[in-house]
Amino acid sequence: MFFQVLFQGLTSSNTWQVTLEFAALLLLPALGGVISERSGVVNIAMEGMMLTGAFASVMVTLAANNFGLSSAICVLFGLLAAIVAGGLMALLHAYFSIQFKTDQIVSGVAINIIALGLTSYLLFEIVPVGVPSLPDRLRLPVPPLGPLANIPFLGTVLFQQNVIFYITLLLLFGVQFLLFRTNIGLRIRAVGEHPQAADTAGVNVRLLRYLCVVSSGLLSGLGGAYLALGVAGLFNPNMTNGRGFIALAAVIFGKYTPLGAAGACLIFGLGIALSYALQGLGSTANVINLLNTLPYIFTLVALVGLVGRTTPPAADGIPYDPASD
Amino acid sequence: MAQRGERGAQARILAWLRNLGDALGRPVLAVALAIIAGAIVILITWPDKALDPFSNIFSAYGALLTGSFGTPISISNTLVRVSPLIFATLSVAIAFRAGLFNIGAAGQMAVGAMAADIVGLTYIHWPGWLLVPAMVIASIVAGALWGGIVGFLKAWRGAHEVVTTIMLNWIAFWGTDYLIDGPPFTAPLGVNQTNPLPPQATIPLVADVWNKTLGSFLPKLDTFSYTVDVSILVALLCIVIYWFITSRTTFGYEVRVIGQNPKAAKYAGIPIKRNILFVMLIAGAFAGLGGALRLMGQFSYQLTATAASTDPTGFDAIAASLLGRTSPLGILFSSLLFGGLRSGSTNMQVVAHVDPNLVLILEGLIIYFMAADFIPVFRRLLPPWLRPRRRPALVVPPDAPIASAVNGDADEEVQYSAIAERQKEI
Repeated sequence: MFFQVLFQGLTSSNTWQVTLEFAALLLLPALGGVISERSGVVNIAMEGMMLTGAFASVMVTLAANNFGLSSAICVLFGLLAAIVAGGLMALLHAYFSIQFKTDQIVSGVAINIIALGLTSYLLFEIVPVGVPSLPDRLRLPVPPLGPLANIPFLGTVLFQQNVIFYITLLLLFGVQFLLFRTNIGLRIRAVGEHPQAADTAGVNVRLLRYLCVVSSGLLSGLGGAYLALGVAGLFNPNMTNGRGFIALAAVIFGKYTPLGAAGACLIFGLGIALSYALQGLGSTANVINLLNTLPYIFTLVALVGLVGRTTPPAADGIPYDPASD
Repeated sequence: MAQRGERGAQARILAWLRNLGDALGRPVLAVALAIIAGAIVILITWPDKALDPFSNIFSAYGALLTGSFGTPISISNTLVRVSPLIFATLSVAIAFRAGLFNIGAAGQMAVGAMAADIVGLTYIHWPGWLLVPAMVIASIVAGALWGGIVGFLKAWRGAHEVVTTIMLNWIAFWGTDYLIDGPPFTAPLGVNQTNPLPPQATIPLVADVWNKTLGSFLPKLDTFSYTVDVSILVALLCIVIYWFITSRTTFGYEVRVIGQNPKAAKYAGIPIKRNILFVMLIAGAFAGLGGALRLMGQFSYQLTATAASTDPTGFDAIAASLLGRTSPLGILFSSLLFGGLRSGSTNMQVVAHVDPNLVLILEGLIIYFMAADFIPVFRRLLPPWLRPRRRPALVVPPDAPIASAVNGDADEEVQYSAIAERQKEI
């Protein structure tokens, strides 16, 4: 029975579609995490940045809709708001951890708490009863890809995805290229490995770190918008429900590289998609809860070094002080 | 002569004031700043349109105060929140002492509660005198195991404790949900709850104990209104145990050295790895016990699925332990503060229409104000005689590296985040 359902799940195009959807959802904040950690700033606040992004996207989309703007413009505003909101939270993190040299982990925890508090608080003040949900026309669209979408299996899996999915794909290769094939990527990695040396070579350590942390917020905010405007179509308090932490797990599991993180996100996404497929099992549907632990168990195993150890950038988490040696 | 004596006394009072300022300055400032920031949030959002925004601030904070400590019943309700928080804060705080940032108290509590629940529901026919200790021991062991994994991975494999505690938290949340939602522990109606514990597996309310002892000749307490259970007394006892461990044992001393200066600890021959494992075992044990006692002490005596992952006690504990600066008295008072904020926030919502999540915002801000170096800015604003003295530089300067890498290399030297150093400095 169990294996039958599992087999059905694995062969259904729907499962793989959901897999890719969730992989992209996790990958956006994970890419942000990779950039931030590579520049030497620990970021455990993707969860909070995502949540803020999700909240801002829904609220701004609905507000723009109330102004009577056209649907496409509303969604665009929502998307922008999510990115800006995520970026602002990241700016807070950057300001404290770079300027004040606050412990980056403490700052990350504080951001997660503030994001949860602020979004739930504002949600109650704006929408006292119920949850704000979006009609279909105010959600992120699935772009019509014509004949491609009609290919039997691949069409459903690859070409009926949300528009953000394709953007994420571009971003993935963009970030990989940026980090490992460009001058600025080399600088980012240098700043994360040995800021003193980078500084001596004329790299502006603080500026670069600011940029990296803020872009991690932009990406996480976009991820939040994908979750709220694309996947869910509503905003719930604490709707990210640990996804930002799975993204963090993906960053570590993927050995701090964009492609590695993408691979990790695929594995975690498959776990989530399978858990949906297994919901058909009825009384043993409870197995979902166990499957949900898998991303975290994988990451622990990776941390312990059973499947090849992951090593963070050498200066990750250490505030840069030009005066120290 | 007299003048001299006066001057001596004056100097002593000033020194005493400075010490007091050193100890209390930052926490008081952090709380004050957070309250001001919260007031600004209320001012901007203006939730109660029947009042003008400024009165709204006062009505909100007034309701928060009366809702938490205004009446004996509200104090009792606050203590219900405070008791698990003290356990969780002790867990975070003792790890802080070793320079470890344990954000896994929530998971350790969930595991502890689950272990106690499993024992209580499995050996349902055991008498109370056997069952309650068995449950307590199960929770301590389970919590210690959950914390011990973190300590082991940190000490022997160099995995950063923040990452492992986050991962273990979610494993605990989903894992306990699995056990709660499925047979054999789940309640028959499919309400995502476990069966209630048998009556002999619960711990009594303080009011019950009072009525049976002193209440026989003093006024009796109403057990429906005063719902605080005896776990608060255990919590106080645990604070004493914490004080004893940290300040009266060699182990506590060694842990402090490890936290403040790992290199010195290494050269002094302190067994770093073993102590890190032990400190995380103890941290997990505190939290596990807290989770179990909350289950055993509060009505309905059931575990609910998804409750663990949405329970704010883990967050509160981080804030409380930072605010209390890991000192026993600090832990007590900051737990009272955050427990009070939590329990008063419902009253704040009823009276002033301010959403209880304001408390989370305050909490996050307090964490920031405790961790960031605002003090130099404010020091300049203070009159000279109130300015805290600079301490001799036994500890690192404020801008020294704070957190170590996310996971260090175990084969080299175990890396420690210097949070405890930071604690000392601030």
